[in-house]
Amino acid sequence: MKALLSARNLGCTLGRKSVLTGIDFSVHPGEVVGLIGPNGSGKSTLLGCLNATKESTGTVTLGERPLAGLSPRQVALLVALMHQETAVPFPFTAREVVALGRHPHRGRWSPETAEDRRQVEATLTLTQTLGLAGQSVTRMSGGERQRVLFAQALAQNPSVLLLDEPTSNLDLSFQESIFGTLKQWVGREKAALVAIHDLRLAARHCHRLILLSQGRILAEGRPEDVLTPDHLSAAYGVDVRVYQNPVTGLVDYQFRQRGDEPTVHVHVVGGGGSAADVLRLLGEGRYRVTAGVLAPGDTDLQVASVYGMPVVTCPPFSAIPPAAFEANRELADRADLTIVSNLAIGPLNQSNLESVLGARNLVVIEDDPPEVRDFTGGEGLALYRRLAARATVLKGAQLAGWLEEWRGLSADR
Amino acid sequence: MKARAGVLPGLGLALGAAMVAATAIGSVEVPVSATLAILGKCLGFPTGPVDQKWEAIVVLIRLPRVLGAALIGAALATAGAVLQSLLRNPMADPGLLGVSSGAGFGAVLSIGLGLASQSLWFTPLFAVAGALTASAVIVGLSLRKGQMPVFTLILAGLAVSTFFGAGTSLVLSLVSHDNVAQFLFWAMGTLANTRWDTLGLAAAPVALGMTGLLLFGRDLNVLALGEAQARSLGVDVPGTRLTLMVLVSVTTAGAVCTSGPVGFVGLMVPPMLRLVLGPDNRMLLPASALGGAVFLVVCDLISRVVSGPLEVNVGIVTSLLGAPYFLFLLVRASREKAA
Repeated sequence: MKALLSARNLGCTLGRKSVLTGIDFSVHPGEVVGLIGPNGSGKSTLLGCLNATKESTGTVTLGERPLAGLSPRQVALLVALMHQETAVPFPFTAREVVALGRHPHRGRWSPETAEDRRQVEATLTLTQTLGLAGQSVTRMSGGERQRVLFAQALAQNPSVLLLDEPTSNLDLSFQESIFGTLKQWVGREKAALVAIHDLRLAARHCHRLILLSQGRILAEGRPEDVLTPDHLSAAYGVDVRVYQNPVTGLVDYQFRQRGDEPTVHVHVVGGGGSAADVLRLLGEGRYRVTAGVLAPGDTDLQVASVYGMPVVTCPPFSAIPPAAFEANRELADRADLTIVSNLAIGPLNQSNLESVLGARNLVVIEDDPPEVRDFTGGEGLALYRRLAARATVLKGAQLAGWLEEWRGLSADR
Repeated sequence: MKARAGVLPGLGLALGAAMVAATAIGSVEVPVSATLAILGKCLGFPTGPVDQKWEAIVVLIRLPRVLGAALIGAALATAGAVLQSLLRNPMADPGLLGVSSGAGFGAVLSIGLGLASQSLWFTPLFAVAGALTASAVIVGLSLRKGQMPVFTLILAGLAVSTFFGAGTSLVLSLVSHDNVAQFLFWAMGTLANTRWDTLGLAAAPVALGMTGLLLFGRDLNVLALGEAQARSLGVDVPGTRLTLMVLVSVTTAGAVCTSGPVGFVGLMVPPMLRLVLGPDNRMLLPASALGGAVFLVVCDLISRVVSGPLEVNVGIVTSLLGAPYFLFLLVRASREKAA
């Protein structure tokens, strides 16, 4: 398949600073390609080089024709670039702005044709901006103006559409719909290259991703191949966890600023999703967190693994084996703080409670009365009472505040 | 939409009425019927006999002056409208930017060097050169990313017009000790000296420049969206901007070498019409030309009748009307910025 746009050894220097070096890639018909990377990685500059509004070295080819040999108008017939900045100083109506998208299609002397008018109305309909058509762009919100400029770029009807952060001012529903519209517009013959910050949106909507870092392509390919912890950590300078969201089935990310290894060790005993909130709270804070004993399929285990927390595990729906019990007890004994979640107590997991009896500092989360959570016929409840008698008993919502205070106190000591 | 379609014919009618009125009214009252008869005779229509004295007044004195007012008003308003879209700033104006001062300096220089007495055409030529110099300085100094911020525009314009104004005064004080009064109008525009020959000098550059500018309506709409946007839409931004600045300079220079710098026409007329017509330059430019013509014909009429036999320079009238309006725009702009 012939590429609609390709760059070979593309470079760009602004002043003395080299912004892009050795960029090689192609965009093919039917593709929506995402351009991702941290601020200053060269995304906007690259888009500018591709429609010759920024000077570059190397070659860019549009279809079969080299970009360097084309007049501005010829370029505009093949590539449109939707910009991030959306201010317009004069009160043009949305319809007038969209109609300006037809500018490269018309000569100086040619009047507006029926085809021009048809394209404008069709684009207004496609982008759901028909309701804004008569309004002045100076009185619109940033998001509305962004949608109008998106419509203008579509009315220009190029073979490749370049978009620079097209969703930056949009609310959630329009973020989704702009990509839907874009894919519909791209169809089989056209293509789009979208610079975008939101990795979730990029993963969900782009066929292929290009990850830029410091002016070079760090990775390129299918979203799941590009959005790996290694690539993202290298590009963004943060620790990234990549996981599959169990509800949406889509790839999701958990970022964490790099810093010193945390020294405070917290061990969490939970199960059945009861510890998810506790684990997330600790995971976002500066703690070294362990958990146990959890079985595969448990939400608690998923949360813990996203944050990379060491977990003592056991087979599902079976009694906790002695080795797991011992490991769990050891972690609880050594931890600076042990937290027991608002868990349900059953015959298979009641030994979890037993394993934390020797903990140095113990917190028990009690959102529901233990009586309703006991499914052992009293034995588990008795164990729980022993535990609660020597623990700080909190509501789940109180934990964050309590932790802050506790850290302050232990720091004083 | 329908109201917009009526604006151009309406302005055309208003211009006709204003021109007839301005031709009829003066220190010697010529009845409107007689004025129309004389005008008809000029255009070659068969009319009855007309009063010789009235005919002389109308044809030799008032008609060139009224036509001059219309032409210069049209030129300055069109130039203003174009500059506003080009610099993406609704407060741009050839007077405020110093383009008029540059043209005035060029014109005066041609007189000072004695070239104007050799050929009348030196004056418009020098005026165009002066206007181009001023434009180049302004654009080179203060255009950032295809846009001129309000205060940069005003300060740069002030610097350039002060510089060329001083140049004009310098030339005048060096050359014409005895007949300074004759040249004073270069400091404050007037139409009192407009005769058929000076009008002819203005007509060529103004007609050329304005015709060119009127063809760029759609390009100006695209440029008004911003430089980056315009380039993405296939406009050769540097080339178009250069062409437009040259055309604006030629148009302004043509106007200035007949009347001297008449201020605020370009600042007042296009923004008011924009309120009615919207910012589409394909409509706004012809409407500004007609509106500017009406505005200056009326201002000139006011300048002639307001103080009886004495005459106030038309530049004073436009400044008295325009300066408060300009302040209003400035206050509104800074409020919008604060909001």
